[in-house]
Amino acid sequence: MAAPHAVEFHDLTVAYGGRPVLWNIDLVIDAPGIFGIIGPNGAGKSTLLKAALGLVPLAGGSVKLFGKPLDAVRRRVGYVPQRETVDWDFPVSVMDVVLMGTYPRLGWFRRPGPRERAVATACLERVGLADVAGRQIGRLSGGQQQRVFLARALAQEADLYFLDEPLAGVDARSQETIFRVLADLRLEGRLVVVVHHDLRTAAEWFDAVALIDMRLVAAGPTAAVLTPDNLRRTYAGPLDVLDELGRAVAQGSRTR
Amino acid sequence: MIIANGWLSEQAVMHAWAMATAAVVSAGCGLVGTLLVVRRMSLLGDAISHAVLPGIVVAVLAGGRLGGPIVLAGATVTALFTVWLTRSLAGRRGVAEDAASGIVFTTLFAVGVVLVSALASRVDLDASCVLHGILELVPFDTVPLAGFEIPRAFLTGAIVLAALLAMAVLTWKEQLFAAFDTDAARAAGMPVGLATTGLLAATALATVASFEAVGAILVVAMLVVPAATAELLVHRLHSMALVAVLVAVVASCIGYLAAWHFNTSAAGMIAVVLGLGYLAAALSAPDGVVARLAARGRLAWRVTCEDCLAALWRGEEAGAAAALPPAVFPRALGQHAALLWLRASGRITTASDGGWRLSTRGRAEAETVVRSHRLWEAWLGRHAELPLDHLHPPAEWIEHHLGAAVRERLEAEVGVAASDPHGRTIPPERK
Amino acid sequence: MSPLGAIPYNTLVVAVGVAAVGFAAGVIGSLGLLRKRALAGDAAAHATLVGVAAAFLATGRRDLPVLLVGALVAAVVSLGVLVLIRRWTRTRDDAATAIVLGVSFGLGITLISGITARGIPGGGGLEQFLLGHTAALTAADAVLLAAVSVVAVVALVVGFKEAVLVAFDPAFAAATGWPVAVIDYLLVALVAVMVVVGLPAAGAVLVTALVVIPPAAARQWTDRIGTMVPLAGVIGLVSAVAGVVASAGFPRLPTGPMIVLVAAALFGLSVLAAVVRDRLAARRPIA
Repeated sequence: MAAPHAVEFHDLTVAYGGRPVLWNIDLVIDAPGIFGIIGPNGAGKSTLLKAALGLVPLAGGSVKLFGKPLDAVRRRVGYVPQRETVDWDFPVSVMDVVLMGTYPRLGWFRRPGPRERAVATACLERVGLADVAGRQIGRLSGGQQQRVFLARALAQEADLYFLDEPLAGVDARSQETIFRVLADLRLEGRLVVVVHHDLRTAAEWFDAVALIDMRLVAAGPTAAVLTPDNLRRTYAGPLDVLDELGRAVAQGSRTR
Repeated sequence: MIIANGWLSEQAVMHAWAMATAAVVSAGCGLVGTLLVVRRMSLLGDAISHAVLPGIVVAVLAGGRLGGPIVLAGATVTALFTVWLTRSLAGRRGVAEDAASGIVFTTLFAVGVVLVSALASRVDLDASCVLHGILELVPFDTVPLAGFEIPRAFLTGAIVLAALLAMAVLTWKEQLFAAFDTDAARAAGMPVGLATTGLLAATALATVASFEAVGAILVVAMLVVPAATAELLVHRLHSMALVAVLVAVVASCIGYLAAWHFNTSAAGMIAVVLGLGYLAAALSAPDGVVARLAARGRLAWRVTCEDCLAALWRGEEAGAAAALPPAVFPRALGQHAALLWLRASGRITTASDGGWRLSTRGRAEAETVVRSHRLWEAWLGRHAELPLDHLHPPAEWIEHHLGAAVRERLEAEVGVAASDPHGRTIPPERK
Repeated sequence: MSPLGAIPYNTLVVAVGVAAVGFAAGVIGSLGLLRKRALAGDAAAHATLVGVAAAFLATGRRDLPVLLVGALVAAVVSLGVLVLIRRWTRTRDDAATAIVLGVSFGLGITLISGITARGIPGGGGLEQFLLGHTAALTAADAVLLAAVSVVAVVALVVGFKEAVLVAFDPAFAAATGWPVAVIDYLLVALVAVMVVVGLPAAGAVLVTALVVIPPAAARQWTDRIGTMVPLAGVIGLVSAVAGVVASAGFPRLPTGPMIVLVAAALFGLSVLAAVVRDRLAARRPIA
């Protein structure tokens, strides 16, 4: 029997307030590798990630990770969310945040101990932040903050990582560090799925990509998928039909 | 007794004045509250209504009369001070906007209560008046005007209402624009800061005018609830203001009478009546709870009927007996009811072998559904990467939401004589 | 005679009870403040009045535990109403909070006023729940309040890492498998409990100050949550005790406002100290 796919979206539909934002996505991704999810703003790329992680309810279809539903394999899945989701004024240090990645393994009510600190320190070294471990997170640059999130995900010691726009607003040096870490993860046999906004760097960084604009336009090896025709269909696509239909569905009525 | 000796009894007149005062001050609050709610400044209204207390006390100490100009001025100054202090604190570590507001207004309110209690002998206020007003006693404190004895609180309320109306009329455009899109208004050169300051001053005025009637805390209810109720019922800003004022006045009268009947606090009762009004609006509004549940029910019914029709049509196309969509209880019940209704409305008939047949009318409707289904499959197949067997489920769902105009556009793309990805013909549009 | 000589035993126990409440309010309030939910507790606090009056009417008893149970039920119901408004109407959050706050307070005033007007025996003291009145507390009452406060603090300490995780990054918590809705609900429930326990001391109108001001003050002194939380507790404790002692000198004065004034003074000092510290740090050359 063939090994199950690392990520499998089957007929996935997600709706916000009754209005579908992702229509019937069918996509499989295999480990190891660095996989990109590309598309215009508002295309539902982050939503796809959140659906995989169980952060938004599904209006239809399913997601399987390593052939199983999410709850059975959470230990193996790491998450790096967008930077805006967090209040950087929160009185915690870099080390405190990275330790949060070890919490799932600790379980309820146990405090992090020497083993967890060792793991956290190792992850901080991997992203080049070992010297700021004691600093409050508000005192970091944008690139450093992103690396803290990455270190936290690394501390989860997962096999599959989802990253949501990890390179947005990040300085060049941090970008390189982050990408180097992702490449190491690929060498270790893991899968990294990245929502990415920049077409130009997509070609050099990703092994395979999926083009998303409220529905899956195309998916496969980067060079084969990033053709002018596909890009046109993604970035200048027939959104108005989907928009009108979305409105009608939300109201429970018919379109014109 | 309402009528005595042919005229309204003195008691009735007192009650009328109390109600009139409540109506007049709540009208002002409803008007100001509309702008507060729309600009998401409801909690600022909460803050100002608490924080003006020390300003009022100090003004009364300085010789002002409750409802006189000194007190109105003192309250306005305190209100602006409150906002300034909140804004200054809000930038600090760990102090978000709402926390800053909470810190400032509880502190100022505490200062006010301490002042009132400590200076009780010198100041014509007491703590319970502060908390819930003394509407019942308002008619007994009168001033002579044009030969009549008018309650002072009513007079203040009427003057403030007139001032608020004038402010509203004069600055309506600016307030509207600032409420709708503050940044765009600023960029367009509108005096947004001035409009906001004016709104805050208006809130302070409305609060002070209501002070004797309902006290510091229930003013919040009068500011926010009528406007929130109006927001559920209408959509244009000036209609909202009108409805809010209407709701406020009606609730004040009903609340006062109910309090009289149940022998309890008028201010509290007014707030309760406002709450009931809000509940009624939430349930019965065009997009309220009842309407939404009804819409869901209607959709489920329409889907069941259309699915039955489409199944019968597909049976006809295949030349075999129709297979209705499988359904277990309770769906089966709905399906059975749908079939009965379809027969009663002439869309299907019972055949001699006990099965169902489509009438002409039913066939036309069924074809529309199947057409929507297959058009969507064809269109989706072109635009999305989906294996063939994944096209049917989305179409099953979308077929109920496609209208004629969108179908035309879909057909324009996939071609008039096209078939769906499974090779089946797409029925033409029935005119 | 009590251990401390001239101070009566009753007063001592009440002081300890109030201290425990102040400490717990500061500690629990810290998480609420950081979760940006400072004012949700205000709506619950104003609603407690309805619970107090209803409990009195239903049972005819005025003992504190009975009234506080009523208060807790009302607080929880009001938070539930907030959720319903959010889920089923277009009304925005700030307006929803104001509606629940104003209407429930109005209902509370209606009930209490009706009780007073009818001269129902025992109803006269209910007004004290508006602004706080510790002079009426018995030693047994104070012990109850202290016990609940201690349990609340222990609960938070035990689940501290979970509470901080959910307060800081609920999306990450959910993605890593924590039941965020449940933990969030428990945090809110703890705040509701603290609001209820703080009622006798600070009253319904001002009890949120006890939950909001000490944590905000503590935050000005430290960037580490492990320091902030106990410090907030200490500031809350000092505010509560000092406020009660200060208002003992003015028998007619309700205790709530004095507690708030002490807390606000401590907050003001903390902000001042932070501003001075920042100015000095800016002047120092970068090492």
